[in-house]
Amino acid sequence: MSHAKTPHVVDARFLEPPEPFAQTMEMLDTLQAGEQMLLLLYREPHPLYRVLLQNGHAYATELLPDGTFEILITR
Amino acid sequence: MQALLSFENAPPFAAPLRFFLTGPLFAALAGVLLLVEGPALFVSRWLPATLAATHLLTVGFMLQIMLGALIQVLPVVAGANLARPLRVASVLHVGLTAGTLLLVAGFLWSQPLSLAVGGGLLGLSVTYFLVVTARALLGVPSTSPTIRGLKLSMAGLLAVVVLGVAMVLALGQGWALPLAALTDLHAAWGLGGWAGTLLAAMGYVVVPMFQLTPGYPARPSWWFPVVIVAALLSWSVAVAVDLPILARLGQALLAVAGLAFAGLTWHLQGQRRRARADATYRFWQIGLAASLLALLMLLAAAFSPELTELVGWTLVFGILLIAGAFMPFISGMLYKIVPFLAWLHLQNQGQAKIPAPNMNRILADTAMQKQRWLYALALALLLGAVFYPAWLARPAGLLFALANAGLCFNLFGAVRRYRHHAGEIREKLALAP
Repeated sequence: MSHAKTPHVVDARFLEPPEPFAQTMEMLDTLQAGEQMLLLLYREPHPLYRVLLQNGHAYATELLPDGTFEILITR
Repeated sequence: MQALLSFENAPPFAAPLRFFLTGPLFAALAGVLLLVEGPALFVSRWLPATLAATHLLTVGFMLQIMLGALIQVLPVVAGANLARPLRVASVLHVGLTAGTLLLVAGFLWSQPLSLAVGGGLLGLSVTYFLVVTARALLGVPSTSPTIRGLKLSMAGLLAVVVLGVAMVLALGQGWALPLAALTDLHAAWGLGGWAGTLLAAMGYVVVPMFQLTPGYPARPSWWFPVVIVAALLSWSVAVAVDLPILARLGQALLAVAGLAFAGLTWHLQGQRRRARADATYRFWQIGLAASLLALLMLLAAAFSPELTELVGWTLVFGILLIAGAFMPFISGMLYKIVPFLAWLHLQNQGQAKIPAPNMNRILADTAMQKQRWLYALALALLLGAVFYPAWLARPAGLLFALANAGLCFNLFGAVRRYRHHAGEIREKLALAP
């Protein structure tokens, strides 16, 4: 699936843990430096945030009215 | 690699587990108390044995498991890391367990000293937890409705403890406090401001995650905990200035907010993408049905306070809310959290070389479903016992004790299998090249 913000999207809204984490890490591995990906979830992934910061990736989170958290991650 | 990374900052399994295994024992003890005392327990909410049984459930089961779960989930749902979680868990568990036993003994045998020491110990334990948590949580911005809900639930817990300790002191020292009104307020802050707000804050995360439902819409999620606390504050002011109409307004607002949350959760569960109705889903269905009934009673009583004079009204309300709603919600969550944590720790111990067994092999759904049926039957008998105490009180007590012992048995079984698999993983790793 694609999105206005980036063509690289993991829609993990109906996936059980640890799938959202696993798929995000897998997609990040396929990106070039500076490229962005979007993770869609119905919760804020704090453990993932820690890993992203440790690995030097920036992220920005937005909560949409339907309860989706859009996490835009820059490799 | 991913499992190892996601594992960082997770407290040791032993930290929350002790709370999860102790809570059901207190609930089983409440069943034993009903079995021994029989119909007398249903005469009035103010009887010593009834107060003892209520606190076995609210403090012994609910508070115990909720605080244990928070030690585990605060880093995950709020990014708030407690310093030395195992030490916090050890101190808190001893304080809560001893405090509950002393408080309950104090109620049961009308021992003011035991009541005061038990109440004091519980007050100190909860204060210790709140101080430790505040250090971690206050530095975290409220970027989600869950974090806001968690913070407000902690304020609710503080109010419960202040009111509880004040009443224990008043009983011991003979202070002239309006105990009946304060007891209602203590219960309202406990079940609404603390447990209800915490349930919502956690529900926003665990209902979509465990039951694969859509998410909770953002706007009501932000507002729900605020409305609950505002309703309780107005009720508290009403008691302080003796303004009954304001208290009833607070009760009505509390009921409407609770009904909205329960109704929304019911609606979301109807859209779940998991085809099979597992034990967690079924437990939540019981909890939602009971909470909708209880909250309708609260709303009706806010408009017509004379309803509370009806035979059995207050007891049915209390049983529906505590044994019908919160306990099934908590049991349902335990049945997801314990196997998941066991799986997570095994996955980590396997060091990405040996996969962890499927969660169903750690705790089978059939075992959970059997226990859930037993619990549902016990709940039905408890409600029936309000109207036919001579016939049903003791059978209800026996079944309630068995159902909660069954919960403990299932969780112990999961821990036993976890240890077995951990041993296997260690052996395999030792043999691996």
